[in-house]
Amino acid sequence: MPETTWFEEEEFGDVLDGRTLRRILGLVRPHWRHVAGFILAITIISILESWFTYQGKRIVDEVIVPQDTSALREILINYLIIVFGFALGVFIFIYLTGLLGQRIQYELRQRLFHHLQTLSLAYFDRTPVGWIMSRLTSDTERIAELVTWGLLDTTWAVTNMLAAASFMMIINWRLALVVLAVMPVLIVVALWFRQKIVLQFRLSRRINSIITGALNENITGVRVVKALTRERANLREFRVHTDDMYRASYRAHWLAALFLPLVQLISALALSLIVLRGGQLALEGALTIGSIQAFISYLIIMLWPIQDLARVFASLQQAVASAERTFSLIDTQPDLEDRPGAYDPGTLKGDIEFDNVDFQYEPEKPVLQGFSLIVRQGETIAIVGPTGAGKTSIVNLVCRFYEPGGGAIRINGVDYTRFTMQAIQSRIGMVLQTPQLFSGSILENIRYGSLGASDDEVFEAARLAGADDFVQRLEKGYESGVGEGGVLLSTGQKQLISLARAILSQPDIFIMDEATSSVDTLTEALIQQGMEALMKRSTTFVIAHRLSTIRRADRILVLQDGRIEELGTHRELLRQRGHYYRLYTRQFREQADRVWDSWNGVTTGPALAE
Amino acid sequence: MTIHIPETNLPKALAASRMRGIFMLLDGYRWIYATAITSLVLSTMAQTTIWLLLAWFADSLLASIGVAGAAPVAMGDLLTLAGVFLVLAAFQAGFSFNSGRMAARAAEGVALRLRVALFDHIQWMSFRALDKQQTGDLLQRSTSDVDAIRRFYSDQALEVGRILSLFVVNLAAIMVIHVPLALISVVSVPLTVIISGLFFKRLEKVYRQYQEQEAVLSTTMQESLTAVRVVRAFARQDHETDKFEKENLQRFRLGRRMLTMYSLFWPCSDMTGGLQHVVGLVVGGLFVLEGEISVGAYVAYAGMLHQVIWPIRELGRLIIHFSTGIVSTRRVLEVIGEEREAQDEGVRPDRKLRGDLEFRNVEMHYDEGEAALKDISFRCRAGQTIALLGATGSGKTTLVNLLPRFYDYSGGSILLDGVELNEFSRGWLREQIGIIEQEPFLFSRSIRENITIGVSRDVTDEEVFAAARAAAVHDVILTFPRGYDTVVGERGVTLSGGQKQRLALARTLLRDPAILLLDDTTSSVDTETEAEIRAALNVLMKGRTTFIIAHRIQSLMRADLILVLGQGRIVQRGSHEQLLGQPGIYRQVYEVQERIDEELEREVSHA
Repeated sequence: MPETTWFEEEEFGDVLDGRTLRRILGLVRPHWRHVAGFILAITIISILESWFTYQGKRIVDEVIVPQDTSALREILINYLIIVFGFALGVFIFIYLTGLLGQRIQYELRQRLFHHLQTLSLAYFDRTPVGWIMSRLTSDTERIAELVTWGLLDTTWAVTNMLAAASFMMIINWRLALVVLAVMPVLIVVALWFRQKIVLQFRLSRRINSIITGALNENITGVRVVKALTRERANLREFRVHTDDMYRASYRAHWLAALFLPLVQLISALALSLIVLRGGQLALEGALTIGSIQAFISYLIIMLWPIQDLARVFASLQQAVASAERTFSLIDTQPDLEDRPGAYDPGTLKGDIEFDNVDFQYEPEKPVLQGFSLIVRQGETIAIVGPTGAGKTSIVNLVCRFYEPGGGAIRINGVDYTRFTMQAIQSRIGMVLQTPQLFSGSILENIRYGSLGASDDEVFEAARLAGADDFVQRLEKGYESGVGEGGVLLSTGQKQLISLARAILSQPDIFIMDEATSSVDTLTEALIQQGMEALMKRSTTFVIAHRLSTIRRADRILVLQDGRIEELGTHRELLRQRGHYYRLYTRQFREQADRVWDSWNGVTTGPALAE
Repeated sequence: MTIHIPETNLPKALAASRMRGIFMLLDGYRWIYATAITSLVLSTMAQTTIWLLLAWFADSLLASIGVAGAAPVAMGDLLTLAGVFLVLAAFQAGFSFNSGRMAARAAEGVALRLRVALFDHIQWMSFRALDKQQTGDLLQRSTSDVDAIRRFYSDQALEVGRILSLFVVNLAAIMVIHVPLALISVVSVPLTVIISGLFFKRLEKVYRQYQEQEAVLSTTMQESLTAVRVVRAFARQDHETDKFEKENLQRFRLGRRMLTMYSLFWPCSDMTGGLQHVVGLVVGGLFVLEGEISVGAYVAYAGMLHQVIWPIRELGRLIIHFSTGIVSTRRVLEVIGEEREAQDEGVRPDRKLRGDLEFRNVEMHYDEGEAALKDISFRCRAGQTIALLGATGSGKTTLVNLLPRFYDYSGGSILLDGVELNEFSRGWLREQIGIIEQEPFLFSRSIRENITIGVSRDVTDEEVFAAARAAAVHDVILTFPRGYDTVVGERGVTLSGGQKQRLALARTLLRDPAILLLDDTTSSVDTETEAEIRAALNVLMKGRTTFIIAHRIQSLMRADLILVLGQGRIVQRGSHEQLLGQPGIYRQVYEVQERIDEELEREVSHA
């Protein structure tokens, strides 16, 4: 993997982009029936709510004031209709909105995940998994939230206001106009204010991540902190951050606490107007008591959605940013694709030829230049050299995770870009330096190499890999879970499992990136034995760290800065007393030391007996 | 200016009961929080007063239109009334704002104090206590748990207060109007609260399942993305997609289940509330007809009824959320309850340490059980070098960890310049000791800060450069784009193991310690830098008592005293020559290492 490719996080602005918004709405187009359903439901609810208030007015004006119970029956029936209709509407909109939200998340994730499967490895090399995960989880959630509850709240705010306004107009249009004059002020102030709150909260979140960083470092490095007696100085520095946090967060909450009272205050203005103008009209006999009461209720009804509306607009920007990032992932084109007319050759057996291959991860930074090598069918090549010499690049090219920038790679004499990617990759077995397992049982993990394999075939592969012994000793044997990413197993055990996985897949080409970390001698011997099983039947590339592996290879390739420094058998290279010689003697000593140590101080016999 | 934090005894809150524990965190902010709650009630009262005034207004209006018997209303009265409404609304808004502000202040204060306390406590925790902790867990307790407690005070508890005060104040006002009416108005409320409590409790179960499934799905995606090489190498994209689809669908199903529960609960709750509302309105109307209450009182009642019925439905949900705050309190206090190291107790001599050292029958236990060190006795003069050799787990690291008092010995005595080691303060001892680990920990700060971080005084650039030069790292630093200002771990700059070690060397040089502890310093470095580091080390070791932990005999041959450790005891001691002259492990190791070299030589020459 290239060591110097840093992932540049693009800046996604909060500026509302009409195109993105349209694209977000495009996500719900297939579900327009749902949307129409919940919009209809919320509209009916809004009308019912205003109608409910209107019944209250009727009680005062038609029953109480004239002292006449004849209208009561009708009012009661209306009430019951409203209450049941309201409940039904609530059921419909919660269900439809929620369902749509879940469905959109489901679909979006599905689409993203499928798309990720088509992207080339280069994409994964330059994009941190954490970044992709955020797109798949929180961003999809935010987008779904916007097109469901956001849409619902907005509709509700609008229909609620319209319904209340209509009823007010019906009751008394002159007073209605007075009240409605206050509304635009209220809405503008609310939105503007919410915007400020959002910015302030963003600031406090930023400080919070600094604090988390400081905490993280202090916890991981606590022993060094203590050894250096830095406790007091560190606390002083930390106090600066926490104090900043206190101020920013307090200010954010201060602003947030101001929001509701501000809305209340402006609406109190409307209330005063109702009393003043309504009282006047009432004195003239143009307005009833019940109407004044209804106006006050309508005022309250109109107030609530404004808060929600402000909240929706605040989250709108975040959701749009989420959508932009998500769409950018969907829009990413795979760097590598099968050529038109690509075919499956049926086998990858045959010589592998690197013909004058150039390769680079980033422009201007060549990793391999004019690299030529012919690997015979069944041969084992050990690749050695310092970090950054291009060892992994060769492996990446063989697997066609990347393609050569210049020159060609031929398998059995055919340029491998004429094959399908699937044809190549399904015939390669691979064991990584840090073995990757999946949560699930050992059996499932080995079977990953060949999904149709029977249990017996799995056991056989495990035996060949030398994994059988330790698996049998586990309480649940092959059914034992390996934990997330294989955490329940040791590195050596994980390697044995991934060897078994590779053996099961019966690859034509086998690739092994040896672990640098030491495993105990017994496991080491088992791993060697497992590798032997694969090396016998496949053309093998090993990025080698262990002497025994190197010695067992047919040829050793010493890489230096993307060039072949030395190439030959173990003996030939030792005789040259060049790079390989130095590397070998150093490794020899180191390994001998380790052997001594792992014997816990008791050394008998030759240190390097194998 | 630093923000003042009131003192409190946090560990005491750990001993308290669960609910009391969380309120003890409020210590020092009680009055502020009490003000918040009082403001809340006052705000509600102002609002309720508006309704009561409205009753009077309606009655007066009716009177002047000529229905019932109150004083007639004039235009001037209307203006006054509108003015009073505005004033009351201002009170309501002001108190409401004040309550939010005060609650935020208390909540932020509590969070600030906890953050600082945790940060500090983790730093001062004893090594024994630290050994039991996990980094991720500590971090989570210091961040999300603290935040949960903050939210408890700033949102949840306040919201419960708001709902309760709305309920109580409005109910009281209705009672003033007419007691039986008040009782009829809330007849369904106990039921609503109980049912919503039960519902949210059940919902929480489904919600947890949903969260768990979300975690499963995340893991599936994460694994698949992390292991993308394996997936591709075995061409298993379809298999991965199937696995993902299965979990994604399961999440969808659980989400739908949760949603169905919601969509059934809320309409029921709305219906109960709606019916109660209708009953109140109609019964209230009948009371007016019977002359029990006035028309104005009815108008006010209709408004207040709303506040009594609807907000209370949220109570169940909020109270269930309380448990989050309580659990978080517990988790935070547990950390603060861990054993703390007294760094300052003990002697703090005014002079520098010389470095004469004597171990007498020293014994050390990590926990109950086998001694990690037993019967350790040896002595050395200031400036001498002591090498420790032995297999993993033989006690080498344990032995050197005693000197800075990372751990205390349980038997025997260690004399440093003739004084019992335990009598020195830990802080002072650590200032006198320099440690260079196999893989040095660097801070994500500038290189300059990483070098100067071990000294508390101001350091000139010249001193920093001199230290870096002596550690053979100055030239390397200058090749970085931003030189000494380069931030470690910054994009594009990766330090090799050897460079990190030389930075640690420079850091230690600047500290000028009397005792040096070196842990296998050259083993992770490549051959070219090994020589440079060795040279730098020789400069550093001059005149300082030095302990070296090493694997290769080569790197400890020149030590004044070599101690061979086995299972916590000294099995052999002496100089290189002495040890070679006697049978034992040392000679065996030496011979093995010699033989390795011979073996190598033979292999090469036979090639």
